[in-house]
Amino acid sequence: MNAAYKRHRIVGILLAILVLILIDHLNSPTFAFNMGDGRAPSALVQRDASACAPCGAPCPSTRD
Amino acid sequence: MTQATSMAPAATRPGPDRFVVGLALAGLVVLGGLVWLETAPFLLALLAVSAVLGVALYHGAFGFTAGWRNLVTKKRGAGMRAQLMLFALAALIMIPILGSGRDDVIGAVAPVGTSLVVGSFIFGIGMQLGGGCGSGTLFTVGAGNLRMMVTLLFFIVGAVLGSIHLPWWLDLPAVDPISLIDWVGVPGAIAVQWLGLGAVALWVNRVERRAHGSLERTELRLRPAEGSVAKALFTGRWPFLWAIIVLAVGNALTLVIGGSPWGITFAFNLWGAKVLQGLGVDMGQFEFWNWAYPAQALADSVLVNIPSVMNFGLLLGAMLAAGMARRFNEASRQTPRGRPFLAAVVGGLLLGYGARLAFGCNIGALFSGLASASVHAWIWFACAFAGSMIGIRLRPCFRLPN
Repeated sequence: MNAAYKRHRIVGILLAILVLILIDHLNSPTFAFNMGDGRAPSALVQRDASACAPCGAPCPSTRD
Repeated sequence: MTQATSMAPAATRPGPDRFVVGLALAGLVVLGGLVWLETAPFLLALLAVSAVLGVALYHGAFGFTAGWRNLVTKKRGAGMRAQLMLFALAALIMIPILGSGRDDVIGAVAPVGTSLVVGSFIFGIGMQLGGGCGSGTLFTVGAGNLRMMVTLLFFIVGAVLGSIHLPWWLDLPAVDPISLIDWVGVPGAIAVQWLGLGAVALWVNRVERRAHGSLERTELRLRPAEGSVAKALFTGRWPFLWAIIVLAVGNALTLVIGGSPWGITFAFNLWGAKVLQGLGVDMGQFEFWNWAYPAQALADSVLVNIPSVMNFGLLLGAMLAAGMARRFNEASRQTPRGRPFLAAVVGGLLLGYGARLAFGCNIGALFSGLASASVHAWIWFACAFAGSMIGIRLRPCFRLPN
């Protein structure tokens, strides 16, 4: 029977992704805020109500 | 003894792939624990919702790309009709929520203009060359498809490139978002969406009838084609109707819990930009990354970015489903090489660039856009379908079957 996947590769990929997520999080304002830095600009709900599109793009009418 | 898992014909499959199922569940528990400890319960709820969405996409084999291709090449419309039913149900559930006057929910509305038309057309070409759309790419990657990992990688590259160019595209002729809820109210918006979707369904039926004389109504099947309901629930394949209900309710839950409908591709932008930033590139030099939402997302953790958290959940949900079906990595028994590999690269770039210009993919712009009664979703639909027809013609050049 041929191998469909190697277990160590799957575990390695998932661990690499987890490490990247952790590095990103440990350097974030949210982590700083959780560690007691009340001045860290953490935002649990990242939204710009004035934006014109889900990606945050401005409205064509407001562009110069 | 090898660590590899062997493949077995479907009829003799001995049950779930415990290793893959266990790993997917462990991934969900670890990620869920991190989200719970470091962020807020609503993000944990969205992670759970997205994992279920991943299961539904995989077990329902709910691919937008294949549905469109089947209509064009085989003149079969079941997949397309299933998508239309999904849009209709989601519109019925979500338009009243968005029109209720609540100030904690925002629809997926976007400007209508050059950027949208060009972006969605490019995205349509990319769908057929890359082998999937936004959701299709994610759930197949979650199921271990190597070629789709290449597509995803270049999807991210294209999305970052698109974010850098988007301000230039936005300066071309365009008008502000048009919401049917504002124009004709909630009942009117639902009626307009249903009439539009019904008209598309009639066209799909006409195409199929002309080619085959009758319709294959597989999208209306309530019971699984093979095996018992309980078996199909865990190991697939789900009837389209099951997936339609789960996806529509999942998008509505995303709106209510997260404040905006389901979206996928912004996270790809963000991941690519974070990598570039980590390599020392100053993303602040690009206008896009100075707008409030992208700047805030770039500065903060991916664990507080809703599209990112939901993409992680979707990937793990699809992995779980593929493990339950004992089909993890099944599509990757041959490493992509040559022209199919090139198609994944080109397709991924077009998908990413197009999605950014068009304010989202088949989920964020089409599905969520139609469920938000935004006119831009209809333009997206038409242009992406036209692009998809070009992509279908190009597939043989890359040795991809139609």
